[in-house]
Amino acid sequence: MKMKCGAGAFHTIYIHKKPQKIMETNKNWFDKNYKLLMLIPLALLIVALVYLGIFYSEKGDFMYKDVSLSGGTTITLNGEVEAISLEKTLSEKYPNDISFRKLNDIRTGEIVAIVIETSAAPEKIKADVEQALGYPLNSDNSSIEFTGSSLSDTFYKQLIIALLISFILMSIVIFILFRTFTPSIAVIFAAFADIVMPLALINYLGIKLSAAGIAAFLMLVGYSVDTDILLTSRVLKKPEGTVNQRIYGAFKTGITMSLTSLFAVLPAFFLVTGLPDSFRQIFLILALGLIADIINTWLMNTGIIKWYCEKKNIK
Amino acid sequence: MASYKIWLLVIILIFCFLIIAPPWNLFEKGVVIQGISKNTSEFESGLRSGMILQSINGKAIDSVESYNKLVNSLNLEDSTKVSMETKSGTFIFYTNKELSLIVKEIPKTKIKTGLDLSGGARALIKAENKTLSDSEMSDLIAITSERSNGFGIKDITIKSVRDLGGESYMLIEVAGATPGDLEDLVENQGKFEGKIGNITVFSGGQDISHVERSGQQAGIEGCSAIQDGEVCRFRFPISLKEEAAKRQAEVTLNLGIDPENPQYLSQKLDLYLDDNLMDSLFISKDLKGQVATQIVISGSGSGLSRQEAVKEATKQMNKLQTILITGSLPFKLEIVKLDTISPVLGKEFTKNLLILGVLVFVIISAIIFIKYRKIKITSAVILTMFSEVAITLGIAALINWNLDAPSIAGIIAGMGTGVDDQIVLIDESVSNVQISLKEKIKRAFFVIFGAFFTVIAAMLPLFWAGAGMLKGFALTTILTITVGILITRPAFAEILRRIQE
Repeated sequence: MKMKCGAGAFHTIYIHKKPQKIMETNKNWFDKNYKLLMLIPLALLIVALVYLGIFYSEKGDFMYKDVSLSGGTTITLNGEVEAISLEKTLSEKYPNDISFRKLNDIRTGEIVAIVIETSAAPEKIKADVEQALGYPLNSDNSSIEFTGSSLSDTFYKQLIIALLISFILMSIVIFILFRTFTPSIAVIFAAFADIVMPLALINYLGIKLSAAGIAAFLMLVGYSVDTDILLTSRVLKKPEGTVNQRIYGAFKTGITMSLTSLFAVLPAFFLVTGLPDSFRQIFLILALGLIADIINTWLMNTGIIKWYCEKKNIK
Repeated sequence: MASYKIWLLVIILIFCFLIIAPPWNLFEKGVVIQGISKNTSEFESGLRSGMILQSINGKAIDSVESYNKLVNSLNLEDSTKVSMETKSGTFIFYTNKELSLIVKEIPKTKIKTGLDLSGGARALIKAENKTLSDSEMSDLIAITSERSNGFGIKDITIKSVRDLGGESYMLIEVAGATPGDLEDLVENQGKFEGKIGNITVFSGGQDISHVERSGQQAGIEGCSAIQDGEVCRFRFPISLKEEAAKRQAEVTLNLGIDPENPQYLSQKLDLYLDDNLMDSLFISKDLKGQVATQIVISGSGSGLSRQEAVKEATKQMNKLQTILITGSLPFKLEIVKLDTISPVLGKEFTKNLLILGVLVFVIISAIIFIKYRKIKITSAVILTMFSEVAITLGIAALINWNLDAPSIAGIIAGMGTGVDDQIVLIDESVSNVQISLKEKIKRAFFVIFGAFFTVIAAMLPLFWAGAGMLKGFALTTILTITVGILITRPAFAEILRRIQE
């Protein structure tokens, strides 16, 4: 039922018929268990950190890097190519240093291109591919991308520095927004977990990260905190209702936001495969980050905020 | 009063559509000249790239195909008169060579796509074990630009980029088909030779020890009036190594005096860059047989006004100075990145991106409709999303930004943030809290601004990291969300208020 009161155009009051019964039952259960719920993201985070630690001690790095970050050549062959024999010939010539991938058309499923990656110099791999195919490569039938190892090293270092700067700048913005220590740290902590969890998963899946992939992590720093800001501002800055009601209200909005974003970024990775790899990787990382963010915001950040409200006696 | 927000959105949208796809372009007939070689009769006649060619010898052109047909029908065995009518005037020349023009259809939209979508080549060059100073970098760029003409590479941009670590790079981008000899162009400074007749008197990198670029001795000497305008003379000294000076003395000793210009010798000094003749200079008769290690190079430039003449003379001087230092810059070059992207695959990518765009729109609209079950709200969200993309594309077209795949990813990610903000606005406005709608929207904007500033803060470092290769991603994300905050979000809040009422 909608009632309008007062003469001003801005003064509108909405009274909903729906009773808050579910809220009440939620409340009891939630009040009892919210600290336990916090253990789920915490455990996931610890697993991710331990995994990254082991990964680092084994590989000497935090991720698998593709040729844009480690140096090397990518050759993209247009159209249908005799892939199997090509793969066989080249794999023998470049043992453990070559990878193949296919790009498919979105509707027909036909192969539109084959991507070959190796750390070899462009002249060498180009000559070998030409020999295997039996025809010369030119700009009508192929693309060749080369990144020198000196550039890729700087690229990598700078992107990592950029990621750190990005994280620090984001933290400053959060502190300016909320001006209180615990809620701000809770948001920053969630953002940290939003980066660590997808990174660990990507390493586990053996995906090689590109420069664009790291850029996606920067984006994630900014992108993933909006639900945390929503939660914190709804709980701390709004006087109406109980803390649980405000959390539940924020959750309803926040989960719609996350799911909408998730469904918007998923097709870019799963459905439309005939796109540049740099492009698809951005969306894969955003999708993983959004999933991690749902866990971190609604189990971890919410727990911290609720705990904080109890301590500070915020009703 | 508040409806100005909606009107502002409408006006900006119309403006953006006019920028993206100017309707007057649809009625334009002809082809655009994309490239033209220097030192050809058509170039001498005044034709330049960017002009819109409408007809040849009075026969209209409406496509690249009809251009090719017309050009093929020209009988170029003997010197033939060709009259090219463009929007900028008619150019007439005589030629018996194949035309060097490269033409393309008049683009229907002003949106430019990056190398990964349109095809082309990109090279990133740095000095080996050295960070170049600004002046060294500008010399390198000037030399490379000068040389690219000799290589016949058209539609090339050369600029310097700097990264987070302060390292500077020369970035070369060539649109469209990739020239096979791009590597030769970019991996060295080039070969410079000064010849008298067939004898090389000096070459770059070893014989010229110094080129005076500025200061008292180098610059414009004076100007004087000529029949239609002004002419200005320039001069600058160069220092030759002893051996080069001796070679010059030996060669000039046997030369006579030019009967037409008695103050000069009978042969000129020809300057070659990568074996292409760039300029020919008269040699003063005083230099005959002289072992001179200091010689003065002079020349002139003319224009309709004094200002124009000074500008032209300075340009000529700088060009000569650049050629003379070719090969003598104190560093070796290293190609750190070289990409040649096939235009064929780019077309496939562009098609897939469009399909993806539509898919994202449909999915988001469906979710919003399922969640709120209101046609009006769903339409408002779709309209806002659409406006954000259109305005971002309009700005990209306005600032001539080349949209590459990461830039488009940025737009989609920005759209995602936009939809999130709208969900916050809708949820706040329909909440059952007993405060005014204005207050509710104010609260929503706290979240929206918070999210806005965190994304800006997170994306800023990308402008500099990695020699700016991922700048597009940061730029379009920031553009899209800024358009959202400043233009579409206030309008959406207003539309929402009207729907609620």
